[in-house]
Amino acid sequence: MLRFASVNKLINLGPIILLYYLSFSEVDSHFESYFEILSFNIQLIIIYFWCLKRPELLGNGHIFFAGLINDVVMGVPLGLSSLSYLIISLIATYVKNMTVNTSITTDWFTFFLAIFFSNLTFFILISNFTEIGINIVEMSYNTFFTLIFFPFFWFLFSAYNSIIISGKNV
Amino acid sequence: MPTSRDDFGIAFRSALLQRGAAQKFSLVFLLFLAATIFFLDIYGFGFMKPIRSGINDSIYRISLVASSPSRFFPQVTGGITNLLTLKKENKRLKKEIEIFKQKEFNVEYLTNENKNLKKILDSDESLFEENIIISKVLIDKSSPYLKSIIINRGSKAGILKGMPVMDKDFLIGRVVETNYASSRVLLLSDLNSRIPVVFGKNQTQAILKGNGGPKPSLEYLPEGYIIKEGLDIFTSGKDGIFLAGSPIGITTDVNDVKLFSESSQLSFVKVDLSKQRKEGF
Repeated sequence: MLRFASVNKLINLGPIILLYYLSFSEVDSHFESYFEILSFNIQLIIIYFWCLKRPELLGNGHIFFAGLINDVVMGVPLGLSSLSYLIISLIATYVKNMTVNTSITTDWFTFFLAIFFSNLTFFILISNFTEIGINIVEMSYNTFFTLIFFPFFWFLFSAYNSIIISGKNV
Repeated sequence: MPTSRDDFGIAFRSALLQRGAAQKFSLVFLLFLAATIFFLDIYGFGFMKPIRSGINDSIYRISLVASSPSRFFPQVTGGITNLLTLKKENKRLKKEIEIFKQKEFNVEYLTNENKNLKKILDSDESLFEENIIISKVLIDKSSPYLKSIIINRGSKAGILKGMPVMDKDFLIGRVVETNYASSRVLLLSDLNSRIPVVFGKNQTQAILKGNGGPKPSLEYLPEGYIIKEGLDIFTSGKDGIFLAGSPIGITTDVNDVKLFSESSQLSFVKVDLSKQRKEGF
């Protein structure tokens, strides 16, 4: 019984572990060696999905710290990714408060709004307050592919979510 | 529709302020904290420098450990492939060594001749002092925004901001951030990179500008100048940061430069300390 509880706890920690791991590690979703323009941001999808479906599994504090870690690894000013991630979380929480039942299409559309505001904030802050130049075309590709890959991860995370639920029911 | 506006307000306020068992901090507090950290960091308050340096060093080390599985698997598969091609490569390398031996004699002769000529010109011998440290690449995370690497030497080893970094003898970038035990190197391919270069028989000057892609482009060329394919590009040293004559790449037919060093294949790099010490940067 005790072992089952700890396994269940570990499964519940899955989204946080994945978020921290992606922020820390070099394992990212930039595939320029395979296809020059292909890059997407899995962290944004993780944050949006889990804030929308099971916010109790992904605390805002963890999102904030994952953002700080990502800033250090990426070499951008501290707090920039945190702000960007928290905006995603804010929109996901707002959508959760306003809606009762969501489908993949509604989630996909609201994710588009979330990613738009998140990247807009990132772009405004980096271009107005820092001397770092960023390629807006690459940023647009990144946003586009993140949006395109959202349904794939939606199904993947939904399956994972059902494991958590079934675990709890047992 | 006052009701829907009220709903919007309630839902938005709730999203910003709500706290619970899992949410120990409200979103508005964290957004404010993130914005404060951001402005403290970009305006470079004195106390932020050691904090940032400490955070960087520790996160880079953890990141290196976290990335080890992703490094391990390509190394294993690469190792098997290498074994299969080892024999062929060995033969080829033996032939190459013979050629290089012959070239080495030529280089030795030319170096001696060059030194003698410099002596005649009463030049500064300190230019020949080798002041290079070898550093391991900790992180080379490919990002859609910044093209940079993290190396395992920092201010403790004497590295300063602006120092040139090389892969073998090829320039790959410069140090843009130093911590106590690590540094960040901005690669030549980054959008923010600008290097004065020379090329061709007439020593044509230009600026090598990173564009975020694998091939940086040449800018500020003489008016009407048409670049020929296959010209070697060297640093001009005009900026006072890089030593003149470091090879960088070769021109292609579309006004850009194919770099000699592949940035995704870096494992050890050399940091040239001499120029900075001389300049007192």
